[in-house]
This record gives sequence, structure tokens and C-alpha cells, in this order.
Amino acid sequence: MRGRLIHKNDVLKIIDVLRENYRVVAPFEGRDRDSYFDDVTDANRDSVAIHVPNPYYPPKRYVFPHMQKLLRISDGDKPSIEDISREEKTAIFGLRSCDVGGIFHQDRFFLGNAFRDNYYEQLRNNLFIVNMACTDINRDIDDDCFCVCADGGPAAKDNFDLQLLDLHDDSGDFLAVAATPRGEALFAQPFFRPAAAAHLARRKAVLNEARKRFKTATSWYSAATKFITRGEVKDSAWKKVGDRCLECGGCSYVCPACTCFTVTDRPVGNNVFERVRVWDACALSGFTRMAGGHNPRKAVHDRRNRRFFRKLSHFFIQREFTMACVGCGRCVRVCHGDIGMPQVVEILRRETTASSRQEIA
Amino acid sequence: MSCSNHNIYQPKVAVLDEIRDEIKDVKTFFWHFENPEHTAAFRAFMPGQFAMVSVFGAGEIAISLPPSPTEDKLFFTTRQVGAVTGAMHALKPGDRFAVRGPYGNGFPMKDYEGRNLIVVAGGIGLIPLRSVIIYALHNRAKFGKIQVFYGSRTPLDLMYTENLKQWQEDKGFECYLTVDKAEGDWKGNVGVVGSLFKKPGVEMPVNNTTVFVCGPPIMFRFVLADLQQMGFKDENTVSTLERYMKCGVGKCGHCCIGVAYVCTDGPVFTLAQIRKLGEVI
Repeated sequence: MRGRLIHKNDVLKIIDVLRENYRVVAPFEGRDRDSYFDDVTDANRDSVAIHVPNPYYPPKRYVFPHMQKLLRISDGDKPSIEDISREEKTAIFGLRSCDVGGIFHQDRFFLGNAFRDNYYEQLRNNLFIVNMACTDINRDIDDDCFCVCADGGPAAKDNFDLQLLDLHDDSGDFLAVAATPRGEALFAQPFFRPAAAAHLARRKAVLNEARKRFKTATSWYSAATKFITRGEVKDSAWKKVGDRCLECGGCSYVCPACTCFTVTDRPVGNNVFERVRVWDACALSGFTRMAGGHNPRKAVHDRRNRRFFRKLSHFFIQREFTMACVGCGRCVRVCHGDIGMPQVVEILRRETTASSRQEIA
Repeated sequence: MSCSNHNIYQPKVAVLDEIRDEIKDVKTFFWHFENPEHTAAFRAFMPGQFAMVSVFGAGEIAISLPPSPTEDKLFFTTRQVGAVTGAMHALKPGDRFAVRGPYGNGFPMKDYEGRNLIVVAGGIGLIPLRSVIIYALHNRAKFGKIQVFYGSRTPLDLMYTENLKQWQEDKGFECYLTVDKAEGDWKGNVGVVGSLFKKPGVEMPVNNTTVFVCGPPIMFRFVLADLQQMGFKDENTVSTLERYMKCGVGKCGHCCIGVAYVCTDGPVFTLAQIRKLGEVI
């Protein structure tokens, strides 16, 4: 990896360069701490936010859209089934480190295993990632972030094209690091300047300072992974989690690592249908309901068990290289029942160790 | 990341040839692909695999494959229960629909060569196991003793009656039928499938035997208890699981049980595997 310096007044010029070849999306600020990813246009280019709370609606949608058209089915005398995927080069500017990990997880899932998902592959191959390290302890990081526990932040280690890190000193410089040849190609732009060893030391110091900010939210995954993998979690623990679940599915819709979808055919004309895939959530009771009404996972705590088993069991961590949680804290913010990942990990730990203590006594 | 042009979700247009009534609400649909090359490629399936079937405008579902690869014809047998099977039952010969597959692991029939085969089916659980029976009879010399135990609610609910008739006359293997409730001129056994195991003259070899079980959940539970009592090992009992599926290729997440995706890791599992999945079936 190579490092370069770029002044904060020049940072948005990266977007200008990328816009020559890509549709560029970047974070913008809404009211209060609300923020969102949107397409950069000439009109909004200057209001792209550098230090900003991570948007709720996860940017995984640029590789795995909320609703994606797959096929166009024309019925009639000569039926045809046509692939209607669109090829579009997209660059995400200001992707947080947790979401970089999220997209890596999606890569492992959709491009690995028995089948390669061609729709995902098409979007992913055309994706350029500019990662922004979370260094502003007031804007970038909040009380619900726990990427340090998930080993994904505050600065991603890999799986981006270009990474920017605010050095937070008087110079107003950012340190840019490239992880791919096409990221490095950007360094040919005149607004990048050479970096020195002192800047790398400064980077370390900034990240150390940022890491200290993570104190309220902690997620002791290793214990939970152990209990879940060994099947030691008591049903009472899942019941406790299930009792607090409102079955809204919000946790899955905001999760950058969730991959489940449903497929539906919708009419778009006379005897013409579009097959679309739409995000789905294992919290919803219809998720496993079969034709005829039999539902193998009817109870809400069984469905909650499912979510956390899928995310934390050792089997899947081995298969996808990472657990299906990146510590972004979105589920913590969205959950009305207060059972985001850290809370569930804590419930599992308490219930399991408490019951084993009873057994010993 | 190299780009693969192969679309894993692309079904191919098929033509419906003939529809046959099996039992109430259950029909068999004979079909072929519009493009003969697709038919030829599809025919490489194994017993126990399944296909994703699209009925235009209704959607796409997973359906098991009742034919054996040793037969000439391709067909599905479905009960009319949901939106897609409902639309399927309204199709007429000559209508078009679409199919992709075959998917799933299927029964490793080659591994079972030299072993005795016992097939236990309840109701429409015979659909995926029909393939196993036909395949085994076609390769009769490669297997030891073959026994089929099949039960349904009433004599009118017995599926594939032509096959059943043949199988009962066939001297090469044993086929036992039972119904929960006798009706009409039924002279055979009355009782659950498990009651056949204890009939005089029925000898089920416990050693070197693979048992196939498929049927409704309640029958499944009782048959497994019977088999366990008789000394059959969990690793020699196989079944095919059924789950809600949207993709068939291990992506949509609906069919995942514990650590296994039923569509790619299954649908065929040994009982020993099922017990280790990490979730109650």
C-alpha cells in the first residue's frame, strides 16, 4: 500500500475525478444526526459530508439493491425470459470502515459457495470504494458503534480502493492509502502530495485516540460464538430475546451483512412480468412458512435464534471468513426492543454462564 | 473477480405435454423443454434432486423430481396448495412454463450399491422416493433386498397407482401398502406405515441397509422411532427435507436450517446429519 497526502480543500476533487467515469454516491447530512447516501450531482457536490454519522440505510444497496429487477418474463404464444440487469459503474465516496467489512462479507457470500450470483457480481465488479476512516469522535463515532469489537474499524485494513484518514492537525491534511491498482491510479492527480513517515505515525496516533472513544458499546463476541457453536445457549435465553422482539425486521433491513431476499413476479403490462428480488428478514413469521401453512420456525424466539446463529456460529464464520456482524451499531439504533447485537451477546453470556454456575453449585 | 456470464436465476421455457390426475388435488405434469438441448442437459439429474419451476405471473417454486433418470419422460407431481401450484393446476397441455435445475445433492445412489434398500413413504412423500424405487429397480442387480412400505389416508389417496400395481406383481422386491382408513373394496392392511414393519412374513434386514423415509412430519416422527427401536442406525437412514425456497442456489436464505442450506447442502440428509444441524426440524 502506498500513502499520499491530500488537503481537506481538495478532498472533494476526488469525487470530481471519479464522476468522469462513475456514478458517485456520497453521504449527506439531513436534520440533527440524520444522514443518507445519495447520488452526487453538480448541485449538491459541495454539501457532501466528510465527517458524518453513518447513515441508517446501509450502502450495501449499491451491490445488493433493496429491490432489484432480475428477469422480464413475457407470456403469450412465444414466451421469453430476458435478463434485465443493468451495468453501471458506481463509486461510493465516504464509505465507513464497518460498511467496507459489510461489502466484503457480501462478496464472500454472493460470490463464494456453490453458485456465483451474477447479478451481485455485475454490480460489485463495477464498484469503486473510497473508505473514510472514522476519526472525528463527535461526528463519525457514536455511542452505539462497536466496530472495534468486530475488528473492522475505525480504519478498514483492506477491501477498499482508496482510504482517506483525517490527520486532525494544523496542516488540514488527509492521509490517502490505496489498496488496489485503480485506487493507486488516482495518485497521478496533481492534488496528491507525497507523505512521510511522520504522517504514518500521526495516523497511528489519530486512530489510537479514536479507539478510546469506543467505550459504551462493547460486544463480547467470542463468548457468544463459543456458546452458540457448542449449542450451549439455553432456550430460556432465546425466549428472553424473543420476548423483546417486535418482529419488525428492521435489524435485517439496516444490517450491512444480511443477505436474505425474497423473489416475486410483478405484472408490468399485459402478460408481461418482472421478476424482482427484495430484501427479506428472518424476523418475519412468513419467512419459513411453506405452501399449505406448515411453518418450521413459528415461534419468535426460534426466529431470533436463527438470526444470531447465522451471524455468530463458527461454521459460518469459517465459510465466509468473517462473522456476519461488522459492529456498525445500526441494529442497536433501530431496535425498539433493545436487542441489537451487543445486547443479545450480553443476554446470551449472562444466561449461559448463570445456568452453568447453577449446575456447578 | 472474473465475470461469469452464466445467470443462475435464468429459467428455460418448457412445454406442458400431458396432465394426469393422481389423487384429490394432486396432478402429474409431463413436460419437455422447448429447446431439446436443455432437455438433454437436464436429464443428468439424480433421484432426490429438485427443480425450480416458474408459472408465468404466479411465481417460482421448488418442486421435487419424481421421475428416475432411467426413464424417458420428465414430469412433476404437485398438490394444489399455494399460489404457484394453484396456477400450475390451471395449466392445459400445450401451455408454456419455465424450469431451471436440477438442484440439490440428491441421493448418492452409487454409494448404496451392494446394500439393501428400504423405502418408507407416507402420502405424497412417495413423490421424491418414486425416483429412488424406479432407479433401484432399473439397476436391480446392483442392490440387495429392496422393500417398499407405503401408506396413505385412504385407498383413494394412494399415488402412482399404475406403478403400485406393477410393483406388487414384481417378484424382484417387496412392496407393502397400508391405509389409515379402509374404504370401498380395500382388502389390504389398515393402520399406519409402521404397523407394516411388524406384520408376519415381513423381515427387514438391519445390517447393510439404507432406509429412505419421506412423509408428513407426524408419520416421520413415528417411523423414525420404530426404526430406532429395530436397531437401524441414524447414519443409514436418509430423507429429503422440504423448505420454503426462493432461489434454489443457496442465496435467498429461506431454507437454511442450522448450518445447512437445504437447497445446496441438501435436500437429502442422513438422520445423523439432521440431528446435528443445530436446529429442530
